[in-house]
Amino acid sequence: MPSAEAMVAPCSMPYCKGCSHGLVVRALGAALEATGLPREQLCLVSDIGCVGLIDRLFPTVHTVHALHGRSTAFASGIAMADGVLFDGALKTVVVIGDGGATIGLLHLVAAAQLNVDVTVIVHNNHLYGMTGGQASGLTPEDWITATTPVGNPLPPLDLVGVLRSSGATFLAREMAMNRGLADRLGEAIAHPGFAVVEVMELCTAFGVPLNSLNGKKLKLLAEQTGEPLGMRALDAGRPSFRAAWKDKHPRSGAGPQWPETPSTGALSLDRPLRFVVAGTAGERVQSAATLLARTAVAGGLFATQKKDNPVTQGTGFSVSELILSPEPIHYTGIPHPDAVVAASQVGWDYLVRTGVAARLDEQSLIVADEGIDLGAWGEGAVRLPLRARVRADGAALAALGWLAARLDVLPLNRLIDTAERAWGDKAGRSVAALQWGFEAGG
Amino acid sequence: MNPPTGRLLTTGNAMSAKAALDAGCRFFAGYPITPASQIFGAMTATLPSMGGLAVSAPDEISALALCIGASLRGVPSMTATSGPGWCLMVECFGYALMTETPVVVAVVQRLGPSTGAATQGAQGDIALVSGATSGAYTFPIFAPSTAAECYADTLRAFEWAERLRTPVVVLSDKEVASTAEVVELGGLPQASGAVRTAWGGGEGFRTYGWEQEADVPPFAPVGGEQVVTVTGSAHDRAGLLKKNDPETLANLRHLQAKIDAVEAEIGLVDTDIPEGADTLVLSYGVSARASRDAVAQARREGMRVGFANVRTLFPVPRTALGHALRGIDTVVLPEENHSGQYRQALGDVLACIDVRPVNRIGAAIKPSEILDALR
Repeated sequence: MPSAEAMVAPCSMPYCKGCSHGLVVRALGAALEATGLPREQLCLVSDIGCVGLIDRLFPTVHTVHALHGRSTAFASGIAMADGVLFDGALKTVVVIGDGGATIGLLHLVAAAQLNVDVTVIVHNNHLYGMTGGQASGLTPEDWITATTPVGNPLPPLDLVGVLRSSGATFLAREMAMNRGLADRLGEAIAHPGFAVVEVMELCTAFGVPLNSLNGKKLKLLAEQTGEPLGMRALDAGRPSFRAAWKDKHPRSGAGPQWPETPSTGALSLDRPLRFVVAGTAGERVQSAATLLARTAVAGGLFATQKKDNPVTQGTGFSVSELILSPEPIHYTGIPHPDAVVAASQVGWDYLVRTGVAARLDEQSLIVADEGIDLGAWGEGAVRLPLRARVRADGAALAALGWLAARLDVLPLNRLIDTAERAWGDKAGRSVAALQWGFEAGG
Repeated sequence: MNPPTGRLLTTGNAMSAKAALDAGCRFFAGYPITPASQIFGAMTATLPSMGGLAVSAPDEISALALCIGASLRGVPSMTATSGPGWCLMVECFGYALMTETPVVVAVVQRLGPSTGAATQGAQGDIALVSGATSGAYTFPIFAPSTAAECYADTLRAFEWAERLRTPVVVLSDKEVASTAEVVELGGLPQASGAVRTAWGGGEGFRTYGWEQEADVPPFAPVGGEQVVTVTGSAHDRAGLLKKNDPETLANLRHLQAKIDAVEAEIGLVDTDIPEGADTLVLSYGVSARASRDAVAQARREGMRVGFANVRTLFPVPRTALGHALRGIDTVVLPEENHSGQYRQALGDVLACIDVRPVNRIGAAIKPSEILDALR
């Protein structure tokens, strides 16, 4: 293994006396040197904390000093882009502390799942050093820290274990003092997927004095918690993010072109018409309204369609507010609908609850399935056996067909054209529903 | 490629995604949220076959962090979210601003606070979005009011993000982004391609190497031949952390100065102001749509009323608004929030003008409410 001298700047280490960070910096320098890669193919992404002071020490490679805990996510973005959009030559290494690994745990888990070509070196000195020695998620049980003066009540997170179960393809756990550390870091960096090396460290400012810690005790501690010290696990079988992506996403073209817009000859309309179509989610309320809107647009008219549904997608009401107009439409609200379609009880109840029904006046048409209880609005409403004749998922379409005929809005052949263009071979039942409604309204 | 013709029935979200692709966006990381998920879906469906990347992030923090990483590598990048997701993105957004990393965030507003109402519209995030950075640094925020403007403003967002090396927000709202409407393709602007100010090579590179404070420093990508030093901590032009240093403070002033310097050029306000008008309806986003109807009706009633649709909310388009406000003594300012967030942001731009706010929450402001304020 080459020495770190060529890689690490000859300035003094910015760490406390005896801090293990310096050992890891030297090992990392030697490991990077040993890759033999050009400097511009190496990128160090540093987290916040004492580990984050590393950029000054590696002036010849790319460095990104990130946010607390987010270093792995930034590195993942760099590595994904490099792997798929470039030649994948860049080696990206994250240096992060146990505090950063705590706040940014999900980013480590995600990087392991993705198996992105990032090596994460976790400098585990078991507490937050830069902020005054507070407990992190990796602080050992019973440890004294600034925030656990009577001992840490929590078990430490087994980080390597968590990342193993997240799909990490290279895992190692080492002492900072281990002479073999540089080789182990080198193996991790050479690995084409996600690699994590947890390095056990001494924090001489807090961990050592508060817990009478020394190198021997640290080793004992490391052996008592988590995955075995000195372990190295490699899963070479799982493809890297780059390999998996290239396999699943062969480049096939220049991307989407503007869709061909059918133009079916001008339709005319002498005034805007505003419909509220209400039914039940999953019963094709929206696609029925879209059909009218598309037909109008193909005929040179203007249309807007506003969807409303509960936060759940597949249950409860589904309401579509549809405006057809000879002029451009700006305000898309419908304070006073020309017509309301009630395709199901659930839809109608929503219109009552939200005040739409209360705003209906004598000019407003109500077209409702005959089974719906319309309450005070029953008188004067058009009642049709929608659900019985064209089933639930044809009810809205049939009612709109009825309206198209009765108000002389859109011709049946154009509506059928649109349905066949949209649904092809599967348009049969929709066309039948439209036809039935249109004839009933004609 | 010939300019497109014809017309489409489509949504603002779909147009935003199409614009991103046309502008050269090749990396998208997303996390699902109503009413912005449609952009995520469109990018997932299209980017991979174009040789681009569209990935799912485990949260919004990751989504923006991944985009920033890709952009540092030199790839135009985008994510999309709504108010609750924006709250998580704020940390990384400040990082993008500080590190001068281009990225576009589409924020589709819904009713808040907190989780609010996922499927209900609002214009309640003007202050939340514009105030995202400590120190209140200005970054471009564009506000489309139609699906066609979603296309144009997303194109603009990429062009400015890359040119200024800054994060940019396209701030739409549920109604504008997810209501289907007609887009006349012939009326859309042509994508000119977003171009990042690039380092040309040679000696003397510094990661943040501006000469004048208002300059945009030439960009070199992580992984490129020129080694870079990127940091979100207060830094000198070399990208090295330096506290209490004159160059570091100058670098912070530079972040604001480069935006201020383009105020007149980036400021976009669509106006329709008849000769002799002394009253102006000034709005943006969904409320601009009702404003158009209200102004048309007011003119039919004989009022001489102007209309201004503010497309660049920030930096406050002082130059364009200065022109629009010439001879105006009354401004009606509708926005779908309870406190008039953009009215407050305009501050002294509206000094000496009788301002009549029209505010409501829970539903789009109606033309009749704006007419009431005009009468």
